[in-house]
Amino acid sequence: MRRLTQRQRIAAMVLALLALGFITLDLGGSSLSSAHSGVRGMLGSLYRGTDAVFGPARRFVQGVPSAGTNQAKVAALRHENAELRARLARAEADKATSAQLATLQLAASDTGYRIVPARVIALGPGQGFDWTVTLDVGTTSGVRAGLTVTDGAGLAGRVLHADRDTCVVLLAADPGSGVGVRLTRTGQVGIATGEGKGGFTFVPMDPEAVVKVGDTLTTGPVGSTSFVPGLAVGTVTSVRTSADGTIRASVRPATSPSGLDLVGVMLTAGDEGAARQALQPAIQGSGR
Amino acid sequence: MTRARVAAALAVVLTALLLQATMIAPLAVTVPVSLPAVLVAAVALVDGPATGISFGFTAGLVADLGSTHPAGVFALSWMGIGLVCGRLADRRSIRGDAATAAAVCAGGAVVSTVLLTVVHADGASLWLAVRTLVPSLLGDALIALAVVPAVRRFLRNDVLRAPHPVLSELDLAGRRG
Repeated sequence: MRRLTQRQRIAAMVLALLALGFITLDLGGSSLSSAHSGVRGMLGSLYRGTDAVFGPARRFVQGVPSAGTNQAKVAALRHENAELRARLARAEADKATSAQLATLQLAASDTGYRIVPARVIALGPGQGFDWTVTLDVGTTSGVRAGLTVTDGAGLAGRVLHADRDTCVVLLAADPGSGVGVRLTRTGQVGIATGEGKGGFTFVPMDPEAVVKVGDTLTTGPVGSTSFVPGLAVGTVTSVRTSADGTIRASVRPATSPSGLDLVGVMLTAGDEGAARQALQPAIQGSGR
Repeated sequence: MTRARVAAALAVVLTALLLQATMIAPLAVTVPVSLPAVLVAAVALVDGPATGISFGFTAGLVADLGSTHPAGVFALSWMGIGLVCGRLADRRSIRGDAATAAAVCAGGAVVSTVLLTVVHADGASLWLAVRTLVPSLLGDALIALAVVPAVRRFLRNDVLRAPHPVLSELDLAGRRG
C-alpha cells in the first residue's frame, strides 16, 4: 500500500475542506448558481453536438429494457388501429346509407309513392354480371312482382318475382328489355331498349322527332309503360339516323347498375307489409 | 503536471460525463453505475494517490456543477475514491485492479448517496444507498474490466506518463535538507 506524503496529506485535507465549503455555499445561497449554469450550458452544448452520433445508440439502449413490452404495445396499437379503421369505414357506410335514405324519401315525396327501402344483397343468380339483383325485402314488406324499383334518382328496374323476405329485380338496362320513355324537352314518347353496359338505345315513336345530345329521358306516362311514370332513365349521348330514316339515340343510364346498394321499391295502393316500413311521401297523395 | 496531462484529463472527464449522460444513464436506472467514478479509480490505481486526489476532485466538481445538487458532493466522494485507490495502487492484474476499482467505487457511491441525503437532494435516501450497494458493485465491476486496461495503456504513453514518484520524494528530501 502506498503512503501519502506530507504534501499529499495537506492537499487532500485542503480539497476536502474546499468541497465542504462548496456544499455549504451552494446550500446557503445562490453563490455558485452562475458556475452551475455555465457548466450545465457547456455540457448541454456537448450533448446536443454529439446527439447525431450518440442519439440513435442511446435510443436503442433506452428501448432494450422495454423491448418485449413495446412489442405487445405495438400489437395492441395495431389492433386498435384496425378497429378504428373498421369503425370509420362503417361510419362512412352509414353516412352513405343515410344520404341514400334521404334521397329515397325525397323520391317518395316527389312521386307521391310509398317507397320500401331495400339493400342489394346479391348480384345476379350466377357467375358474372347478370342483369338482375336480389333485394332483402319480400312479400312480408308488401313487395310483389311488377313493382318499380328506384335508387332515388332514377329508374333501377322492376321486381321479377318476390319471395317472403327477398325479391329479384330485373335491371332496366337488361339487354333486350324495353322501357316506355318520354323526352323531357319535347314530350316525345318512344322505347328505350336496354343494352347492358352500353345503357339504352332510344327510338322515338315519331320518326320525325328531333332528338338532341343532352336530352333527358324519363319513364313514360301511364299506359305507355309498366313502370311508375316520371322516373329519370338517362341522358342522350349520341344520335344517328339509319338509312331507312329511323332515329336511334344512345342513352347513358341515370342509374349505374353496378353501383346499386340501397334502393327503394315503389309500392302501389293495396301493397301493405309489416316487415319493413315504407317511406311515406311528405304530401299525402292519392294512395296509388 | 504537464500540459498534455492536464488537457488529456479534461478531455477524458468530459468524454466520461458525456458517455455517462447519453449511453449509461438509461441503463443506470436499474443498475446504478458511474463511468466517471470508475475512471477516477482506474487512473488512481495506475498513477498513485496524488493524481487520484486531484483527478477525482476535478472530475467530481465538474459533475457537481453540471447537476442540480450542491457542488462539492461528488468532488468529495470521488476525491476519496482517488485517494483510496491511489494508496492501493500496486500494479496487480487487470482483474484485481477492476475488482478494487469496483469495490471502492461502490463505497464511494454509498458515501455520495448519504451526502445527497444529508443535503436533501431529490430522490436520495439512506435506504437507496444500501439498496444500490450490490448492483452498483456489479455494474462498476463490469465497466472497470473495460476501463482499467484502457487507462493503463493510455497512461503508459511517454507524453502522459506520471513523473517517477521516487524522484519526487528525493526532491522533497533535498529541500528539507
